[in-house]
Amino acid sequence: MTRLRYVAREAFQNIGRNALVVLGAILAVFISLTLTFGTVVFGEVVRINTLQWAEDVRVIAFIQDDVAPAAIADLQSEIKTWEEVEDVFFVTKSEALEEAQVLLANQPASLRVLNEQPDIIPASLRVQPTEPDDYQTIVIRLEGTPGLRDVQSAGPAIEAMIALRDGLRIMFWLLALALGVAAVALIANTIHMAIYARREEIEIMRLVGASNWFVRTPFIVEGAVEGLIGGVLAVAFIVVVQKMAVDRLTELPQWINVAVNNDFLMQRGALVLLFGVLAGLVGSSLSLAVHRHLRA
Amino acid sequence: MIRFENVTKVYDGGVVALKDVTVDIAKGEFVFLVGPSGSGKSTMIRLMMREEAPSNGDIWVAGKHASNLPNWKVPHLRRSIGTVFQDFKLLPNKTVYENVAFAMEVTGKARSVIRTQVPQVLKLVGLSTKADRNPRQLSGGEQQRVSVARAFVNRPLILLADEPTGNLDPATSVGIMRILDRINRTGTTVVMATHDHAIVDAMRRRVVQLDRGRVVRDESRGVYETSVRSTPPEPAPAAAARSAAEPETSSAAEESAGEVASADGAAAVTAGAEAVAVGEITGEVPVVTEPGAET
Repeated sequence: MTRLRYVAREAFQNIGRNALVVLGAILAVFISLTLTFGTVVFGEVVRINTLQWAEDVRVIAFIQDDVAPAAIADLQSEIKTWEEVEDVFFVTKSEALEEAQVLLANQPASLRVLNEQPDIIPASLRVQPTEPDDYQTIVIRLEGTPGLRDVQSAGPAIEAMIALRDGLRIMFWLLALALGVAAVALIANTIHMAIYARREEIEIMRLVGASNWFVRTPFIVEGAVEGLIGGVLAVAFIVVVQKMAVDRLTELPQWINVAVNNDFLMQRGALVLLFGVLAGLVGSSLSLAVHRHLRA
Repeated sequence: MIRFENVTKVYDGGVVALKDVTVDIAKGEFVFLVGPSGSGKSTMIRLMMREEAPSNGDIWVAGKHASNLPNWKVPHLRRSIGTVFQDFKLLPNKTVYENVAFAMEVTGKARSVIRTQVPQVLKLVGLSTKADRNPRQLSGGEQQRVSVARAFVNRPLILLADEPTGNLDPATSVGIMRILDRINRTGTTVVMATHDHAIVDAMRRRVVQLDRGRVVRDESRGVYETSVRSTPPEPAPAAAARSAAEPETSSAAEESAGEVASADGAAAVTAGAEAVAVGEITGEVPVVTEPGAET
């Protein structure tokens, strides 16, 4: 108990003493993790919205409920022979229902309708064009085919979203990585300053026989706390921005869904916090490892 | 309690600090390490507290094989050793009480134990009334008493003191010596490296004299420098031992003779204070001349 109080007191004392440097370290963690978490959340938004269009599917043909399975198989193999078609997947009614449940997760009213009448979701054939630009031709050819009740193609919005995600993803990950390294270095620096400020104390601790871990723990806790604060700020920031986007972007076309499942936010948010703490631990450990005052 | 067996210490860069030193210090002894600067006194202290490891030879401290001790076990060794230094090493932003309590806090003592032990040891060093002062509000002697209190508060088996009176005037030094003597009387082994002739001569305890890394004299109830005192116990053997040890360095011997002569002059100047010192120490603790703990 004495020990716990001691560690907490020492760790927080230094955060106060070197407020400016600590602030810098926390900011770096915050920005790095905001980018990371932002990329993750944006990726999830895109994933939800492009669920049907995954694996380069650009055309979806919904099948009437009365078509026999054998006929569907025939149709699938026929379409596959078209030269502008790379591949065709068959999605059953139950698979489509699961997909719809994810898509509509944040629209309780629609979800209720879905649960009451699960039968309204049709089976479909999903077509992957050889060249992305060929999808118009495929749509035209499919529209005359019997047994199909509707043909949809990925609109330019979907295309833009996927392109944006792919472009941003690389850039954001690189930025987050660079800033993550900076954050670790800055945390290491704050710990270095803390050790330097307390070198007399440390010397005396060693003289009277304080164990190595007793000397080190406050610094490690301090690094972890700095990382955690940065992580909490990042998660809070992204969650707030995301919720604001949901409220503000009500004018978007109905089929674009910016809401993200709360479970997803919590799970990934916890991971981000863990990363913050890890960055802090790595930073302080680095600093402790190179510091001669702490060598036995 | 402390044993050096053929210990040699060579620092990086080839400086030989100790050469083949063998010393055995029994539990409860009070030992002075004397000798000129650079003779290896501080190195011996640092080896005893395992601040350094020897280049050769074996060291046992408080029942532990200190020269072979892995780094992570050093803290446990240190808990059986109290240390006092010339520069006090007090924390300026903590009070006297907190400075002493710190040594218990960081070794994980319970608060209740700290609350009873610290006042006791402050009373022992005569600072009960100044527990709430900051070190910078205290005189040098008082600061050193705080540092002795901190060294003793965990009741170590051994107290190591490296020039504890080096920054203090003779009268203040007497106060510190009285406390060290009292601590020694509790059964604590005390090893003190010093330059202070008056103190060594007044205390009449075991003296280990070092010269350029070698033990050149080891006698119970010795004085600081046998060759310049008017009544040296064994002047001839010591001188013989020294010249035998370093036959080729006669110029250095002359040098140290000059040093001794001037030191002697200084001693003459402070003879009055010295007499007072001797009287004070022996008066306070009349048993000081008995062999007692030395056996």
